[in-house]
Amino acid sequence: MQKMRECLIIDDDEDDQEIFLMCLNSVSDQVNGKTVSSGVDAIAMLTADNDYTPDYIFLDVNMPKMNGIECLKELRAIERLNNTMIFMYSTTAERTSLAECKKMGISDFIIKPTKISELKERLAAIFAIVPETNS
Amino acid sequence: MSEEHLNVNSLGSKGLLYQKMVEEIQDYAIIIMDDKVFIQNWNRGAQKIKLYSEEEILGKHFSIFYLAEDLENDLPGKLMKEARDTGRAAQEGWRKRKDGSHFWGSITITALHDEDDNVIGFSKVTRDLTDKKIADDKLRLSEQRYHQMIAEVQDYAIILLDAGGIIENWNVGAEKIKGYRSEEVIGKSFEIFYTEEDKAIGLPQRLLKLARDTGRAALEGWRLRKDGTKFWGSVTITALHGKEGNVIGFSKVTRDLTQQKIAEEKLANYTAELEIQNSELEQFAYVASHDLQEPLRKIQTFAELIKDNYDDKAFAEKYFKKLDQSAKRMAELVRSLLNYSRLAKDKDDSSALGEVNLDALVTETKEDFELLIEEKKAVIRSGALPVITGNRIQLGQLFSNLISNALKFSKTTPVIEINCTIVKKDQIADAPKTLADQDYYQLTFSDNGIGFEEQYSKTIFSLFQRLHGKQDYAGTGIGLALCKKIAENHHGFISATSELGKGATFFVYLPVSARV
Repeated sequence: MQKMRECLIIDDDEDDQEIFLMCLNSVSDQVNGKTVSSGVDAIAMLTADNDYTPDYIFLDVNMPKMNGIECLKELRAIERLNNTMIFMYSTTAERTSLAECKKMGISDFIIKPTKISELKERLAAIFAIVPETNS
Repeated sequence: MSEEHLNVNSLGSKGLLYQKMVEEIQDYAIIIMDDKVFIQNWNRGAQKIKLYSEEEILGKHFSIFYLAEDLENDLPGKLMKEARDTGRAAQEGWRKRKDGSHFWGSITITALHDEDDNVIGFSKVTRDLTDKKIADDKLRLSEQRYHQMIAEVQDYAIILLDAGGIIENWNVGAEKIKGYRSEEVIGKSFEIFYTEEDKAIGLPQRLLKLARDTGRAALEGWRLRKDGTKFWGSVTITALHGKEGNVIGFSKVTRDLTQQKIAEEKLANYTAELEIQNSELEQFAYVASHDLQEPLRKIQTFAELIKDNYDDKAFAEKYFKKLDQSAKRMAELVRSLLNYSRLAKDKDDSSALGEVNLDALVTETKEDFELLIEEKKAVIRSGALPVITGNRIQLGQLFSNLISNALKFSKTTPVIEINCTIVKKDQIADAPKTLADQDYYQLTFSDNGIGFEEQYSKTIFSLFQRLHGKQDYAGTGIGLALCKKIAENHHGFISATSELGKGATFFVYLPVSARV
């Protein structure tokens, strides 16, 4: 039997955190959701706790202080996250930031959907893939 | 024509050959005249040049070839006297042909003597140099015009330098462009037109060397006039070579392109400003649409959630409340954005300018935030503030934003100090290059609030840049961007320093003498 997978949501918007967890919990009982409210907090947590290796990371782009792109750079420097599927998760996608993220290797750039059902479908499809972090 | 004077036929066989030679020479008119200068002999050259046949001319007085004005001055007589006295007379001048046309003759009259040294006649050798004379005249005229042209050209300084760079010649253009009169400058080195900085790096001599080595040196740069002012000169130095290929001097042609240079710089500045504005606009459109879409998306999501869970009253109420908050946030964003875009539009509206008493602005702002100040028990102290020329509404917004930020970003009792001093541009840290060199009022807004890390001291003025989560401190991320625009609209500048947890100080610089 597979162990529980971990999904980290880095987003400064509490409403978006709440909606995301709601959808995550309704599409999978194999994935644990965890939220942090800023890139700074996420990096601090991931560097402090070596036992926590998320299988999926959803990263908001527009956040105070450290934005999603800066945070992605820091995440890429953490070796144990090499097999983690990282998704940018933003209200809008601007061309230059999209290109920058793709260069740094992300699994996808997701525009935050307006419909709950859409987000659920998206998450179900993503969680169908089990990354190598879980082996 | 008596034989005791001269008998051209009384010669031997060698003499005959000699006579034939003279007769048949075509390029020289060779005439023999008696001692009264009547023509005795006429060769083919004479006929060709002067057009008279031998029959027509023999026995005529030689003055027949002279023009009326020369006759009046008795030129023939003078020449003859000279030849008689000194043995020879040479002259160049216009003479008359048989048909009345003129030719330029080079004439040598030689006195012929008998054994007792008496003058028995004259020989007169004439060469027709009309073509040469015309060509010479043309050349002389052209050279004269050329010198005149250079001397009088006004738009170019055209200078002749010797091989060492000493000024030898100076035209009107040079005087006009550089301000020196020729007598002030001839004999001096051309280095006097160069700035101290250029002289220090040896620029003038390097240019001469380049011209010497390659034939030519061209450069644009700032040069000095006599009065010390600068002009933007486009300079070409050309090496002048002697017959053996050695450099004997230089020509230096300078054009004053100051006006063009200023226009170019202006254009470059406009272009740069336009590019900044365009990229600002692009950024504005992106961030505006992003920040407006966020609450809009949430409204849609919350509405869907409510619809799907309509029976759960507590759930529905919770999300109705969230929906309402999102709508309010959206309205606030739209209002702030409108405010911001209006600032850009009002930028050049001078009718909105007037005397603004900054002391009164502080009092008004305090009144606006009366409840909040009371609630937080905040203290706002201000020193004497000046009356300045500006846009009252915008400056009111500036004060309101800075004071409300100081009230908002606090954990303890807020203490806010507002002061004013006068500083020079070079005393302003990080002042942008575009800021005019003049005196500024430095308004400081210091607080004892939460402050921020120094690294964010510039980004906080960007549109929608926030340092805190919305749940911690409310706001749209437009306030300080607005302050920056207002300072810029007043030809000023805004900056901030802080240390996390140790309060923040905002500096607003406004020109002491306002440009209206």
